[in-house]
Amino acid sequence: MLRSLLTVSALELRTRVRDRTALIIAIIVPVAMATLFGVALGGDDPPLRATIGMVDLDGGEFPAGVRREVLASTELEGVLTLRDLPGREQAQSALDAGDIGAAIIFPAGFSDSVGAGEGGQVGVLTSADTPLAGVVANAVVDRISSLVRARTLAVRASLDAGVPAAEVKEFVERNGAAGPALTLENDPMAGGRVDLSVYYGAGMAALFAFFVVGASFRGLLIERKQGTLDRMRAGPIHGWVPIAGKAVVGFVLAMVSVCVTWASSVLIFGSTWGDPVAVFTLLLAHVLAATAITMLVASRARTDAQADGVIMVISFVAAFFGGSLVPLYTLPDLLQQIALFTPNAWTTTGLTGLAGSGAGLASVALPIGVLCAIAAAAFGLAATGFRKGLLG
Amino acid sequence: MTNALTCANLSKSYGGVAAVRDVGFTIAPGEAYGLLGPNGAGKTTTISMLVGLLKPDAGTVVVGGADLSADPMAAKAKIGYVPQEIALYPDLTGRENLRFFCRLFGLPRREVRGRVAEVLDMVGLADRADAKLDTYSGGMKRRINIGAALLHRPELLILDEPTVGVDPQSRKSILDGLERLVADGMALLYTSHYMEEVERICHRVAIIDHGSIVAEGTRHELVELVGGADRIELTLDGDVETALAKLRGLGGVTEAVRTAAGSIRLIAEGGRYLLPSVISTVDGIAAVTAVEVVEPDLEATFLHLTGSTLRD
Ligand SMILES: Nc1ncnc2c1ncn2[C@@H]1O[C@H](COP(=O)(O)OP(=O)(O)O)[C@@H](O)[C@H]1O
Ligand SMILES: [Mg+2]
Repeated sequence: MLRSLLTVSALELRTRVRDRTALIIAIIVPVAMATLFGVALGGDDPPLRATIGMVDLDGGEFPAGVRREVLASTELEGVLTLRDLPGREQAQSALDAGDIGAAIIFPAGFSDSVGAGEGGQVGVLTSADTPLAGVVANAVVDRISSLVRARTLAVRASLDAGVPAAEVKEFVERNGAAGPALTLENDPMAGGRVDLSVYYGAGMAALFAFFVVGASFRGLLIERKQGTLDRMRAGPIHGWVPIAGKAVVGFVLAMVSVCVTWASSVLIFGSTWGDPVAVFTLLLAHVLAATAITMLVASRARTDAQADGVIMVISFVAAFFGGSLVPLYTLPDLLQQIALFTPNAWTTTGLTGLAGSGAGLASVALPIGVLCAIAAAAFGLAATGFRKGLLG
Repeated sequence: MTNALTCANLSKSYGGVAAVRDVGFTIAPGEAYGLLGPNGAGKTTTISMLVGLLKPDAGTVVVGGADLSADPMAAKAKIGYVPQEIALYPDLTGRENLRFFCRLFGLPRREVRGRVAEVLDMVGLADRADAKLDTYSGGMKRRINIGAALLHRPELLILDEPTVGVDPQSRKSILDGLERLVADGMALLYTSHYMEEVERICHRVAIIDHGSIVAEGTRHELVELVGGADRIELTLDGDVETALAKLRGLGGVTEAVRTAAGSIRLIAEGGRYLLPSVISTVDGIAAVTAVEVVEPDLEATFLHLTGSTLRD
């Protein structure tokens, strides 16, 4: 029986290798797409240089703190440059001209207002052309905001406790109730950098796995049309042999496709996807789920053209809702909930998680478990579908 | 001696419409058995149940002693199935196609090459073996389609209308080949709506119509059913419908049908003596342009039993 299965697989593999389009879809397109996305959105080699505009209408301690920190940080040296600009309009036109990647605006009286316990708002200008500079600027502002919140709270508490308004600022600073001093590190940038190239690599791998494995099941339906499937089934072999023989090839080719996408992301961008064992296992679970889902489609489809269309739609829907095309966190909450039903979401989240941390296999146990559960459910439905249809 | 095939009470319906009703017959080892019936009679449906492609609603199939539902592997190993349509890979060569099915059906590795060459010889395609199938002519495709069913040396070859759409020369070569196989001891189940083929090849014939077997026997036995009647084929020029109605009323005529635009087929007791009255009956209604009196054959039997023709 194993020999029969290998015979089916050998013919399928030969057909697929002879078919240039199939090869292109399996290998070249995902790598090209991941590279394109990576270059457009996540390029980091040579290392990122961001110039951030600084509009200081305040002249107080906060903008001074930012300047001091950027100058003092050895990690940010040569990476992050501040450029002083006189006002919001000048910052906007510098941003539009591409001279700066983002801008931070301190409004007049900001430091005083915070010192008086009244809080304050720092403005940020970003541009879609330079998302990473935007990430950095927002990270800086986040730091300032948490500092402002801590300071505001401390001032309010002191005022309530009866410290005179004129002395409260000094009182708070003397007692160290202002929270940590403003510090900047380059980790938000590192995070942004890893995320985007790995993110799109993972997304493309997850998407194309469906197409690659789907092509083998399409082949199964073509065999039904051309009668060779019936000829096989009339012979002394088990009815599952043709299906399993095709599935094995689809699975292996999809694994090759995702691994090539992974390898090229590492080689082209020098990105780190994290622990190789964990990445490989996660990709394996994803391809298993994609195999089961496309098998389910084939088990219910009437023609190869219908299966082709349905697999195409399912692949793109799963890719979209699963965050393979647009980052998940940019989607509304409801859609993020729907994402949990797609293998792509679990795979992409799992992979970006691995890339961002030094964690191993144990950290992706949940996504792997969910992917296997999706695969098991789809395989079960496919089996009943085949029994009622193709093998009925 | 175990029969090459025993099937009984086979039934299958599609959405409440019966395609096959209570069909059963046996084929002895080495016997050539014909299933003769018009399009839609249920031949393909019957065969699909015999080769395990279609689950019968009811009935049993035993192939050379092996029950198809209890031991499908053993039963299928004894059957060679020739589908109605060409069921091979168009972008592989003839040899590659045969090699694939040899391996798939578990022929020992060292036998594959020899067996493929043997079968290519049998179907007369040795010289075109290394050309892609889609460069073959219709007749060549039909021949390799049969060859692919012979690879594992089945005891029973089941063919579903293997000569449909084939030129006369290829048809002759296919029928010659099948006769050789039968002479070598292979049992055959041959379905067709061509009476002449079934008459030529088969030892016994079942006539199937609307899903049921209406008669079974040797050619001689089946023709006996018509009695001493002859078949008369008339070709007319004129009002064929009125002529047909008149002829139905003529004494001695048991069946009368229209077979083509200007053609009428009659079954008539002592037909050759009735000819003058047949011609005078249509006189003035239509001109007789051709007339043929045929001794009883399966076509006549079919008409006698079902009141319709094998081909429409
Ligand atoms: N898959 C099917 N679904 C519905 N009806 C079918 C199907 N296959 C065959 N039939 C019907 O069953 C009858 C027998 O068909 P078939 O066995 O193909 O006849 P034959 O091979 O003698 O021409 C026909 O009336 C046909 O329309
Ligand atoms: Mg048929």
